[in-house]
Amino acid sequence: MIEYPEIDRYASLDSPMHRFDPRAKIIAFIFLIFSVVLIPDLKIAFIGLFFAIFLLILSRIPIFFVLSYMKWVAMFVLSFFIILAFTFPGEELAKFYFLSVTAEGLYTGSLITIRAFSAIILIFPMIGTMRFDTTIKALDRLKVPNSLVQILMFTYRYIFVFVDEFQRIWTAMESRGFKLRTTLYALRTIGNAMGMLFVRSYERAERVYQAMRSRGYTGNPKTLVEFEIRMKDYLLAVSIIGFAISLHVVSFVGVV
Amino acid sequence: MVHISDGILSLPVLAAGWAITIALIAVTLWWSKRKGSIIEEIPRLSVMTSAFFVASLLHIAIGPTSVHLILSGLVGIILGILAYPAIFIGLILQAFLFGHGGVTVLGVNTVNLGVPALVAYGIFKAGNKLIPSESITSKAVLGALAGGIAVALAVALTAGSLCTLGKEYTWAIKALILYHIPIIVIEAVIVGSVVAFLVRVKPELIGSLGGDRK
Repeated sequence: MIEYPEIDRYASLDSPMHRFDPRAKIIAFIFLIFSVVLIPDLKIAFIGLFFAIFLLILSRIPIFFVLSYMKWVAMFVLSFFIILAFTFPGEELAKFYFLSVTAEGLYTGSLITIRAFSAIILIFPMIGTMRFDTTIKALDRLKVPNSLVQILMFTYRYIFVFVDEFQRIWTAMESRGFKLRTTLYALRTIGNAMGMLFVRSYERAERVYQAMRSRGYTGNPKTLVEFEIRMKDYLLAVSIIGFAISLHVVSFVGVV
Repeated sequence: MVHISDGILSLPVLAAGWAITIALIAVTLWWSKRKGSIIEEIPRLSVMTSAFFVASLLHIAIGPTSVHLILSGLVGIILGILAYPAIFIGLILQAFLFGHGGVTVLGVNTVNLGVPALVAYGIFKAGNKLIPSESITSKAVLGALAGGIAVALAVALTAGSLCTLGKEYTWAIKALILYHIPIIVIEAVIVGSVVAFLVRVKPELIGSLGGDRK
């Protein structure tokens, strides 16, 4: 019913993206993502999309894996696309009964769709090419406030525990004949199941806290992973950032 | 569905979202540090955040589509002001692990969901002071009210962020609001019954029911 979050399923492959230093990779990709979502021109947005796909292919992460992750963004953006195509004021292209498709609507809708898809595709060469705990350590090295990094780390770890826990509660409910419907009774039962999850997690939180304190937790975790940044990492980061900037220079000058 | 995706909003809106989020995280963390050590809160806050994360993955079918719960009202009721950083962390993980929302819109989405959580916390706390009754029903109704208002406010804020795009988007925004009306009702019922359950089983879990957790 609930899937594990396995963004780093392909973290053990080997590719230029996998060998890219985590800190340089995060900075370069965040820069590129901000750049592609702000492209004002459709043609240049396509160039951004092709570059995102190129980096994805370079990372050797299977396409089907990426597609399965894109369904939420696709749902949001495509419904936006359809509504915009029919309701955006502008030159009429086609008419179906009382609805009409406008050129401006199609243009804006496609621009939004392409930018959103580029952004989500870029998540994979960035986050999918290293274990998620490496990502968190890299954020720590990048001076993200320590308390946030720690909350992120512990929250991530316990998600897997609670997916199992909730699954157990759910199996127990179904074995007693519960079916998920949209009725008042079913919703209240779900409320109780969630309440149970929170009670169990609260009790677990107390135990976790005590266990951590007794092992000497003071709020400053020490990690053993050391990153090593090399010349080629700088080069790769600089060329990705350079590409990100040039996308905007080109659309500003209006060459394409 | 209340998460806006990447690639829709303009730079000033994205920047404003990040600025508000960073300021509110700093303030809420500073405020809870003032009351006691944040070290003590980190493991507890994290465990609760991941429980919320998992609970919000549950899908409920409405007609042809399915919705997932937003639960920001409940996060506010249980975690108090720390709900804001908790929602930020939850949204980072949703963007990175599941592809809900996006990276650049994290700031805006945290405002749209986190501010309602703080408001729900306020409503629940004020309501408890106004109605000193200890009955489970009154707490449940109060919880349902706070939970429902939180979703309504989240939808309003999301619609507001999309309104910055211009008049051409009116229909898209109307559709978004329409889509969320059943979620407001569903969520109110669920938050009400979770609160009723917790009042019966483990009242100390509700941060705003009687002083802070300790």
